[in-house]
Amino acid sequence: MTTRPPSSPDSGAGERLAIAPAPGEQPQAATSAGAAGKSKRAIAGRPQASGSLWWLSLLSVTGFLLFWYAIVRFEIISQALLASPEQVLTTFISKLTSRAPDGATLGANFITSLKLCLTGYISAVCVGVPLGLIMGWFRKVDEIVKPLFEMIRPIPPIAWIPLAILWLGIGLPAKAYIIWLSAFVPSVINSYAGIKLTEPVLISVSRTFGATNWETFLKVGVPSALPMVFTGLRLSLSSAWMTLVAAELLAGSEGLGYMIQMGRTLARPDVIIVGMLTIGCTGAAMGYLLEKLERKLAPWRRS
Amino acid sequence: MAELTSRFRPKAHVLPIASLFLMVALWQLVVGTGNFGKALPSPMAVARQFWLMLFEPIGRTSLYGHIWASLVRVLSAFVVAIITGIPLGLLMGWNKKFEAMVKPIFEMFRPIPPIAWIPLAILWFGIDETPKIFICFIGAFVPVVMNAYTGIRFTEPMLLDAARMLGGNRRQLFTEVAIPSAMGAIFAGLQNGLSLSWMCVLAAEMVGAQEGIGYLILLGMDMSNPAMIITGMLLIGAIGAAIAVLLRYAEKRICPWKREISM
Repeated sequence: MTTRPPSSPDSGAGERLAIAPAPGEQPQAATSAGAAGKSKRAIAGRPQASGSLWWLSLLSVTGFLLFWYAIVRFEIISQALLASPEQVLTTFISKLTSRAPDGATLGANFITSLKLCLTGYISAVCVGVPLGLIMGWFRKVDEIVKPLFEMIRPIPPIAWIPLAILWLGIGLPAKAYIIWLSAFVPSVINSYAGIKLTEPVLISVSRTFGATNWETFLKVGVPSALPMVFTGLRLSLSSAWMTLVAAELLAGSEGLGYMIQMGRTLARPDVIIVGMLTIGCTGAAMGYLLEKLERKLAPWRRS
Repeated sequence: MAELTSRFRPKAHVLPIASLFLMVALWQLVVGTGNFGKALPSPMAVARQFWLMLFEPIGRTSLYGHIWASLVRVLSAFVVAIITGIPLGLLMGWNKKFEAMVKPIFEMFRPIPPIAWIPLAILWFGIDETPKIFICFIGAFVPVVMNAYTGIRFTEPMLLDAARMLGGNRRQLFTEVAIPSAMGAIFAGLQNGLSLSWMCVLAAEMVGAQEGIGYLILLGMDMSNPAMIITGMLLIGAIGAAIAVLLRYAEKRICPWKREISM
């Protein structure tokens, strides 16, 4: 899985596992596919593979911004529904210091959300990854845990929100619990799949050299599963981030999700868009950092 | 692989079934202690609630009406996402100029979770069907585009070269080599898109709706009826799983050359 070219059937299947999660789990699998898409592999077959096209990109982004500006400026879409890029920028700058209209500055909202997301995410990963690895390696554990896991898996984390609120109120524990769930499922699944795809030859070799099952697990299984584990970590993170927005939207009194919700209540499209962009950028930045970390920790991943 | 190393076990179903039973028994037991009061209903209470909901209308419509409402939203959004997303992804993956133009704009929108669009969607479209379909559409659109794009980009160069050597023109290369080879990735994208959009419909319905399965569990919360919430959650899970199975079946029919590894 680590050495074969990306389109060999085996790694294709592995990839598939990563990019086709069951209904319950978070979906930004696109992220993993996207990361793969960014690999430096030259696409020999693609036509017109010459010259740099950055000017086209620049042109299209400028065109997009101009278009956006124009439809608001000339009231093709009412200002009550859409803010122009310029207004968004102004709001962004003023929101850095001003508490209006939702009661906290952008920075404070951002910190609240980030803290909540990371709390849920890190605790989920600490439980989920070892669980997935152990489930994938030890048959008995698999048979006991998997039926329970399979029952929870297809239920989207968002569907837990009412129950969590009923049980834990609308404070931090309820949200942390939902985020925990949303990050837990993909990290288990990918660790599980990763260790299941360990090259049987490697296992046999290590056994031939007299390693115990536990040693083989630690020294062969886990390292070979690491790339998939990281895919899981990325999926979990984007899942956690998305669920966080939902949780704050539905039951929050602070945070970025609450901010955009307030933006809607007060009919302030500029605030909503600032919030959405902050959410998007933060999600992308966290994904990027995780990718960096992965290169450091699992450099043998194919790229 | 781990299973190669363990013995063949004819009674492989014993442990899974035992563990499920144990869980239900434990659940019943925990409820029996009475520590949870009304917050956690017993499995029996959930089953009773489910039975009741099969015949009694909830809110405006029956259980089937709620399920239907959610399904219609998801499926109509999904169809639109397929019609727009797959061609967009394929074109982006095939044509460099198109990619240079569209990709940066797409990349700007991609990291924004579909749920973060809810406030804007409500502001734009009010609270009837349109915003919900819009949210589901965004949820399905991003993975569909991304996977079609990646699928095309990962076409084996050797296959393309071979086709070219055999005299295929660009259109043939695209339709007869690149698209079939991207089919697996496209289907993976559809799976993702559908499950994401199934999740989005819940969020959208929980923010403001009068029917739908997301509304159902929210109603359960408002009425402090955990049995109703749990029934709703199990239904959501079951429908989501059923949709995924159907799509996998469609994939097997449409591209039988794809190998499967199941979790």
